[in-house]
Amino acid sequence: MANLKDIKRKISSVKNTQKTTRAMKLVSSAKLRRTEELAKRSKVYANKLTELIEEIAQKMQQNQVGGLDNIYFQNVENPKVVDIVFVTADKGLCGGFNTQTIKKVNALIEQFKSQEVEVRLRAVGRKGIDYYKFNNFELKSEIVGLSASPNFESAAKFISEVAESCVNGETNKIIMVHNGYVNMITQAVKVDQLLPVDSSKLKLEVVSTSEMEVEPDEDDTLLTGLIKRYIEYSMYYALIDSLAAEHSARMQAMDAATNNAKEMVKKLTVKYNKARQESITTELIEIISGMESMK
Amino acid sequence: MELMKLEIITPNGVIFDANVKQVTLPGSEGEFGVLARHATLVSLLDTGVIVIETSDSKQVAVAINSGYVKVDEIKTTCLVDGAVALFGDDSELAKALEVAKELLKSTEASNIAIATAVSKVEQIGKTL
Repeated sequence: MANLKDIKRKISSVKNTQKTTRAMKLVSSAKLRRTEELAKRSKVYANKLTELIEEIAQKMQQNQVGGLDNIYFQNVENPKVVDIVFVTADKGLCGGFNTQTIKKVNALIEQFKSQEVEVRLRAVGRKGIDYYKFNNFELKSEIVGLSASPNFESAAKFISEVAESCVNGETNKIIMVHNGYVNMITQAVKVDQLLPVDSSKLKLEVVSTSEMEVEPDEDDTLLTGLIKRYIEYSMYYALIDSLAAEHSARMQAMDAATNNAKEMVKKLTVKYNKARQESITTELIEIISGMESMK
Repeated sequence: MELMKLEIITPNGVIFDANVKQVTLPGSEGEFGVLARHATLVSLLDTGVIVIETSDSKQVAVAINSGYVKVDEIKTTCLVDGAVALFGDDSELAKALEVAKELLKSTEASNIAIATAVSKVEQIGKTL
């Protein structure tokens, strides 16, 4: 027979855990709403930027002036070095959110290794950093704090260093992995090729046939600038997307935890009542048998 | 007078989205004005002030640090890094002017460009 006091203590402990998880769920859902709003607003900018690049690329292709041989568009046939930028959360307690991203990154590493490509990792977020540090995998660069509160300046600074190494030939390809927000209950790991810009993926249909003036028009200043901006913004957007996904994942995980705690309290209460009944019965039997023996 | 659509978009959201008569933009090769049916143009934008003439012939201004603009026959789209809208009530405006000056000063543009833009912001503050 389990001790009554022990069971009681366990019940109150589980109840406390339940309170904590419920509070965390509420916090996450409030944060999620805010991040979702942010994501929605920044999506407008992202879409317009992509549109603009698409249109310029399309114009260049249409007029066959070249330019798509620009370093940012040049696809290396047999890449020797590939950089993987991946985003994880700074905090845990969000179900399989971080593990999913890490699993995907590991799969990519395996895939590139089988093609004898050197992989360099660049980590955003403490969880990913901790994982690869623990497994003695060298990280090319790392940053903490950005995934909890994305800001454009630091994101741009981080990614432009990466882009720099692509431009000067240190690396041939930059791939970004992050766990993105789909809706309140689903997240999906997204893998994007950041550099070189995949011109085959751009929509190159003819939009308008009018001529286009470009200022300044001496060199590739405008296009280079635009693409830099595009990369920086992709990074920033990935961070926001990942943050929204993190909150929704945490909300789910905490919801499940709260439900589990509820279930456990129910089970423990039954157990407690049974034990109580048992002790009463024993006591009664003792009293009755005592009385019997006195007759 | 014919109207055209103007959008000013920053990473933090849409600042301005309406039909306007005319817009003056701080292009990297010099300031230029755009009316409806302008030829397609893509340009770099410098630190400065976008001056807009709205459909009811009022002048409003938006201070920006840098960005891009795409003009075509019916629509002008500005993609800027940071922008402060200089319109609204008096109290809001006074605050906006301060924020705008901060924004302009924080850019990496040449001192001359910043000085020009700041003085323009101050001027707008006086006239509005």
